[in-house]
Amino acid sequence: MPNMELQLGLALPTPNMIKGFDLNNHRLDHLKQRGCFSNKSKRSFEQAFGNFKQDGKTKTLLLWSGQPNEEEDHKDQKKTTFSTIDDSNDDEEVEQVVGWPPIKTWRKKIFNQPNGVGGIENNRVADKENGRSIYVKVKMEGVAITRKVDIRLYLSYQTLSNSLITMFSKDKKCGDDDSTRYILTYQDKEGDWLIAGDIPWQSFMRCVQRLKIIRNRD
Amino acid sequence: MQKKMMYSFPDDVLEHVFSFIQSDKDRNAVSAVCKLWYEIERWCRRKVFIGNCYAVSPRVVIKRFPEVRSIELKGKPHFADFNLVPDGWGGYVLPWIVEMAGAYPCLEEIRLKRMVVTDESLELIAKSFKNFKVLVLFSCEGFSTDGLAAIAAGCKNLRELDLRESEVDDLSGHWLTHFPETCTSLVSLNISCLGSDEVSFSALERLVGRCPNLKSLRLNRAVTLDKIANILRRAPQLVDFGTGNYASELPPDVLLNLAGAFSSCKELKSLSGFWDVVPAYLPALYSVCSRLTSLNLSYATIQNPEIIKLVSRCPSLQRLLVLDYIEDSGLEALASSCKDLQELRVFPSDPFGGEPHVSLTEQGLVTVSLGCPKLQSILYFCHRMTNAALVTIAQSCPNLTRFRLCIIEPKTADYLTLEPLDVGFGAIVEHCKDLRRLSLSGLLTDRVFEYIGTYAKKLEMLSVAFAGDSDLGLHHVLFGCESLRKLEIRDCPFGDKALLANAAKLETMRSLWMSSCTVSFGACKLLGQKMPRLNVEVIDETEPPDSRPESCPVEKFYIYRSVSGPRFDKPPFVWTMDEEGKIMH
Repeated sequence: MPNMELQLGLALPTPNMIKGFDLNNHRLDHLKQRGCFSNKSKRSFEQAFGNFKQDGKTKTLLLWSGQPNEEEDHKDQKKTTFSTIDDSNDDEEVEQVVGWPPIKTWRKKIFNQPNGVGGIENNRVADKENGRSIYVKVKMEGVAITRKVDIRLYLSYQTLSNSLITMFSKDKKCGDDDSTRYILTYQDKEGDWLIAGDIPWQSFMRCVQRLKIIRNRD
Repeated sequence: MQKKMMYSFPDDVLEHVFSFIQSDKDRNAVSAVCKLWYEIERWCRRKVFIGNCYAVSPRVVIKRFPEVRSIELKGKPHFADFNLVPDGWGGYVLPWIVEMAGAYPCLEEIRLKRMVVTDESLELIAKSFKNFKVLVLFSCEGFSTDGLAAIAAGCKNLRELDLRESEVDDLSGHWLTHFPETCTSLVSLNISCLGSDEVSFSALERLVGRCPNLKSLRLNRAVTLDKIANILRRAPQLVDFGTGNYASELPPDVLLNLAGAFSSCKELKSLSGFWDVVPAYLPALYSVCSRLTSLNLSYATIQNPEIIKLVSRCPSLQRLLVLDYIEDSGLEALASSCKDLQELRVFPSDPFGGEPHVSLTEQGLVTVSLGCPKLQSILYFCHRMTNAALVTIAQSCPNLTRFRLCIIEPKTADYLTLEPLDVGFGAIVEHCKDLRRLSLSGLLTDRVFEYIGTYAKKLEMLSVAFAGDSDLGLHHVLFGCESLRKLEIRDCPFGDKALLANAAKLETMRSLWMSSCTVSFGACKLLGQKMPRLNVEVIDETEPPDSRPESCPVEKFYIYRSVSGPRFDKPPFVWTMDEEGKIMH
């Protein structure tokens, strides 16, 4: 594996810094389709009905060549990523596609609702907050495997990022620019994604839920 | 020889005979025999089910059935559960309550699903029906604890108050104190949806203590673990119990007490709740496990081995709801321990995470299907699937009546062969001849709809998303599925052709929802014009649909049959296509 320089830039946060990822969006296809229709509605109702008589013989309609249509969408569509990072102030989680996956709203809230009774939350496994480990998931953009780190083992952002560099340099795909810069981001208790480094380390340790390393596109 | 004719029986004999006929379908058949039977039947029908509150007006119902004691109404389309229906769409129950308050003073039961219920409605119920017994508000909204207080105070013989999955404005936990001391009739109380605010616990305890027939009690998250033992000891006759919060730092003797309280409930068969569960307290349940037929762990963020330990102790389990923390290994334990399993629902713990972080795959579902041949109902969220797995499931569980598979990423192919999952779902509909409900996902072409149209003759409800290639897909379903009542489609390339060609079919169905498809405004207009018994409602939040060319696709529409014409309570973003080809608003 080539020795890549991963620099986790703990940049100063600016608004809108984490927006605008080019995640494929199904909606765009539909917007493109608007206004591109031939005028079919002129055909009369009777004509429309006449084409498909309900006489039980549907052979003609079931003549299916077995070949996919030319305009098959899915072949061209890239795999859509459904993990999102958004620094908007929405209370609810950001979804890439409205209403998908089909889960009732209140079910989603089960994990996000803060409660003071020391429960086990989705991404953060804390036994007791008095010296035991605090494991937090770390995801790196482009890497399939999610890892976990024990935040308590680190004393500062620097030691954390050093460790993450070591951890992920084994996973980094070849082909990426050697000097690709990465940004370390984290999700806080309110569900917001922020750039790591702007709050004191102790505060960070108390509120971090998840970590994600993203490519710096600037 | 004189033949004794049916119509020589006195009316009350016929009425007595009819009283043994409970199902709506049979009752409808009875009323169609002749005028006399129609008349007798309508006077003695006590229960009415209205699957779409806009299909008929309250007055028409009251006119035909003057002596109803129990009514069930459903409002919003199913996709409202997933935020596809804008707020304010409709489904208001107040007009019904107002009419029934005058016409049905003896009304005893109201069951509502996906309707907007206001405090005013609840107050009117409490005031108008002297013998009111059952109120079930399933996925409803629009009311607060003030309305509940009115019900508690006003309904002297209340038996059932079930607020499952409703959104309640939790103003105060004190509404429970409005149950008078004389109220001893409660059989079922479900307040699990109430917020995390305080609930008046002492009032709850006293209420539970004085209702000897209480069989079902589901608490909300605000009730802490240390309180549960007291509740259980006051209601050892409970059959169904929903815990509140299941986390705490209890001293060991309290844990023992809790275990004792559970074991004193000899009838307990169903458990749910378990918010924030701390595994250390699960052993308190062990004494109950062997009797459990239903277990809902879908709010419980426990992982293995705790899930396996619990599930392995429940050999009588018929119904399990759980998060994907159960993983394939847990499902294997389920398959070997719970041979009577009829219903399984596995929910995703991290639906928007993108990459799977638990080891739950198609294999888990296959294992359960092989081990539990009595399975009838499956809801499964996962990240990958194969045709082979689906075929195995179909062949192993021929008794399936409900199959809902959600592969989290749309258009995911069979991960081994990279083919569409047409064949797999085809096997499901072919082998499971009693299938009534089906939800599709993954990569699917028109072929899967061909299979569905060919085999799914008992299918009543179909949910489709990101599937199909052309109108042929929609046509297969509309043409072939004889029993279809509800069809909901999103993000599919289905347009005008199939819809217009099968317009008559729509009158045999309860409703059709389509969003993000390619049906044009012109087609909607045509349908509204030519089919007077259908309400064609276009939903457009940005601008009137006729401000664009007719060939433009509509973003969302909802078509349903109705004998009462277009509704009058439409919000600004709903446009009805009427008989003159005008859009009404």
